[in-house]
Amino acid sequence: MPQMEVIANRPRRWDVPFGDAMREEDVDKLLQIEPFRSIDAERFPATLPLRGILKNDARVNYYPDGAIIVRENDYGSSAFLVLQGRARVVLAGLPEEVLGRPAQTKPGFLKSMLRQWRNPSLPEVRNQVAFESDLVSNDSHEVDELAETRVFVQDVPRLLENSRSVVLHAGEFFGELAALTRSPRTATVLADGEAVLLELRWQGLRDLMRRTDALRQHIERLYRDNSLRVHLRETPLLAQLPTEHLEAVAAAVRFETHGDFQWQDTYEPYTSKPAADAFASEPLIVEEGSPCEGLVLIRSGFARLSHHFGNGHRTIAYLGKGQVFGLGESIEQVAVEEPVRAKASLRALGHVDVLRIPQEVMRDHVYCNLPEHLLAEAAKKHALYCTKHFCSQPGKTLGGEQTQVETPLLEFLVERRFINGAQAMLVDLDRCTRCDDCVRACAATHNNNPRFIRHGPRHGSTMVAHACMHCVDPVCMIGCPTGAIGRDMATGVVEINDLTCIGCSTCAESCPYGNVRMVEARDAGGAIMFDEVTQQPIHKATKCDLCVDQPMGPACQHACPHDALVRMDLGNLGELSHWMSR
Amino acid sequence: MKSFVSRRLYSATLMVVVLALLVYWTLQQKWTLGHSSFGTGYVLLATLFFLALYNIRKKLPVLPWASSSDWLQAHVYVALGTAVLFGLHVDWRLPTGFLESTIAVLYGATFVSGIVGLIWTRTIPAKLARVSEEVIYERIPMLRSQLCERAQEAVLEAVRSSGATTLGEFYSERLHPYFESSRRIGYFVRPNSRLRRRLLAELTEMNRYLSPDERETCEILFALVRRRDDLDFHAAMQWRLKMWLFLHLGLTYPLLAVASVHGLVAHLFDGGVL
Ligand code: HEM
Ligand code: SF4
Ligand code: SF4
Ligand code: SF4
Repeated sequence: MPQMEVIANRPRRWDVPFGDAMREEDVDKLLQIEPFRSIDAERFPATLPLRGILKNDARVNYYPDGAIIVRENDYGSSAFLVLQGRARVVLAGLPEEVLGRPAQTKPGFLKSMLRQWRNPSLPEVRNQVAFESDLVSNDSHEVDELAETRVFVQDVPRLLENSRSVVLHAGEFFGELAALTRSPRTATVLADGEAVLLELRWQGLRDLMRRTDALRQHIERLYRDNSLRVHLRETPLLAQLPTEHLEAVAAAVRFETHGDFQWQDTYEPYTSKPAADAFASEPLIVEEGSPCEGLVLIRSGFARLSHHFGNGHRTIAYLGKGQVFGLGESIEQVAVEEPVRAKASLRALGHVDVLRIPQEVMRDHVYCNLPEHLLAEAAKKHALYCTKHFCSQPGKTLGGEQTQVETPLLEFLVERRFINGAQAMLVDLDRCTRCDDCVRACAATHNNNPRFIRHGPRHGSTMVAHACMHCVDPVCMIGCPTGAIGRDMATGVVEINDLTCIGCSTCAESCPYGNVRMVEARDAGGAIMFDEVTQQPIHKATKCDLCVDQPMGPACQHACPHDALVRMDLGNLGELSHWMSR
Repeated sequence: MKSFVSRRLYSATLMVVVLALLVYWTLQQKWTLGHSSFGTGYVLLATLFFLALYNIRKKLPVLPWASSSDWLQAHVYVALGTAVLFGLHVDWRLPTGFLESTIAVLYGATFVSGIVGLIWTRTIPAKLARVSEEVIYERIPMLRSQLCERAQEAVLEAVRSSGATTLGEFYSERLHPYFESSRRIGYFVRPNSRLRRRLLAELTEMNRYLSPDERETCEILFALVRRRDDLDFHAAMQWRLKMWLFLHLGLTYPLLAVASVHGLVAHLFDGGVL
């Protein structure tokens, strides 16, 4: 067994710091400035000291004038603090050409052919020799990649003529939402003149925010001052609101967080409970029948919309990022001038960030500016369910925006939180001939190792197979000590770096859907590799990589002769109902 | 996503149009040259190669082919079209020579197996989906022996706790053989619920002679008999789906070989055009 001794020690989180080593003086300096100055170092445990976090989870980056710091729609995993100079947040989308996104390269015909030819006959063979230096890397490739491709926005003033932008000065934070909610960047940020920024990787940021309110408040205040208005503008009725009224709305917005950030820990007990108990354990955001107190905007995560039915609750829909709850009641309350009660409950599924706009503010600053027929129209258009006054389709429970999927299927998808899946694998068992062509295709494209199991929870004839769903909220990433599992910056695909995976199985245990499999790795000769110290076989985490390097996309879907298998965004009910009714 | 209905309409129309053109072409050849067999023969052989190419496409999923589902659509409509082409080629008469008859039989068998298989692949999945549990074919033997073990343990436990042997005897006589062995070939040809119904009826009959403890176990056995029957149904149906394709594919290559030989021979006898 030639490569038996390669892995000597399993890397841990801080074995390799985030960037060029921070010196003690650098940490001292950071501790002199806000928000770090207000953080109480006493509240951190000895194993995870404040200094340690700053030293290991942060790095200082220099940017020349016009350099891109983060790019809209990239999946980032760190937040930034301006130390010197200025950063410009460009809110309206910049043209793709200036953003310099690298083109994805796919193998051609010959390369594909060779690949199948060379597939080893034994499972889980690794051809690369893993050197210890390969085993650890920092998990934020974003900055490196942007620096490598050297994206500069040359003529900044001209470009910005047509875009709205906000300038951030020393002491201001950005990028924390994308980093913490594992979601895409909402804006591009450029260096406005030469700038020096502190970059904090999300593991560190999360530990800081957990132990101190100061940082959270600091970040919320900055968000309110900077990006909140953009988000509000995307809300129905607020798009055209005169600036002074929008300011008033922004000032009154309340931030709330519901549910557990690490919700995967409670998923197992949650799904094994009877449905009613599981439902009751979901944190309540708004209760059906409570007086209408304004609007709730979902900032990130998912929430379940339900109403009383018989002795239980029936799910009507689920809301995701950017959707609004309570608009109908809120408008109705103004129209009838008497208290209106919420027609449905809103509950957090997993971890949800919401914004609340109080009813008085909506009344005084939004509705007073709009004629009644426009209000009625908006209420109908954005109705998620019928209120007494506004019902777009009498007799139906849903309004215009959401497509209908039969309730039991909806309950199933919501209860099991499959709605988290951006690329879930659905198999239509009414069409699937169980021929396993999909499995063989997956194996052929992955060194003879199928990366999914054609089995899984089902509802009626719809089965959600055990294939990684490339979730909107990939909780599998949370605990990975080396950052081996992460999102591809451009595509959002959740990938495992086989070289840096240390086989600790944290991701496999964290994936609520059981879609990561631990395997025993073999060397090129086919022998199982062993850890030199523990004498245990070396394990690697494996899962579907969505065939990112395949010219035709997901091989499983492509290989199904009977149109029985699709990869689908379950956050998009329209797509689902379309597929169901082919 | 196109709906299945519109896809069917589109492909069927296309097939009819292409066939009409082919018929027109052969008629024209007949009028001008006197015989069209070489023309139709070449087209027929080419389509057969195209149909067989689907096997290669399935074997090499790493190559940038069109999707397998598109291939199957093309396969089915082209294959249906070959029936007309075949008819034109043999001038709607039964062939007489040895080689020709062999081809006709092979072609006929491949064609019929294709039709039967298509019907099965479109009807069996829904029947399987109605069974409570989805099972992977390769796991069925393992699941069977698990069921057998569970049944055995439940009965042993009942005998131990109740001290009575009524259920135990019934089990070893009637149920154990059912759990332990696999179904007869007749079941695979035509799965049915006769045995399941009979065993469940017998169990129900037994119930009146059982002690309370045994009766509880009896409930477990009810469920296990049903699950075992579901497993057998899956085994039989999935086996059928695999076997037909195996047969269909098995007929394909001899057909191609014999058809190619026939083409060569035809040229030789035609005056050595080769
Ligand atoms: C007459 C000449 C035919 C030839 C040479 C032929 C050949 C083939 C081959 C090579 C395959 C691929 C098998 C595999 O690799 O798994 C195939 C599959 C298939 N054929 Fe044919 N075929 C013929 C006619 C038909 C007809 C008439 C039909 C039905 C109308 C048909 C329906 C199918 C179906 C449904 C499959 C694939 C099923 C699956 O993958 O589950 N074939 N055929
Ligand atoms: S591994 Fe699990 S949690 Fe992570 S993206 Fe895939 S399905 Fe989602
Ligand atoms: S997308 Fe690719 S890796 Fe993922 S299950 Fe399908 S074939 Fe396998
Ligand atoms: S390829 Fe399609 S029909 Fe065959 S087993 Fe997979 S999903 Fe089912």
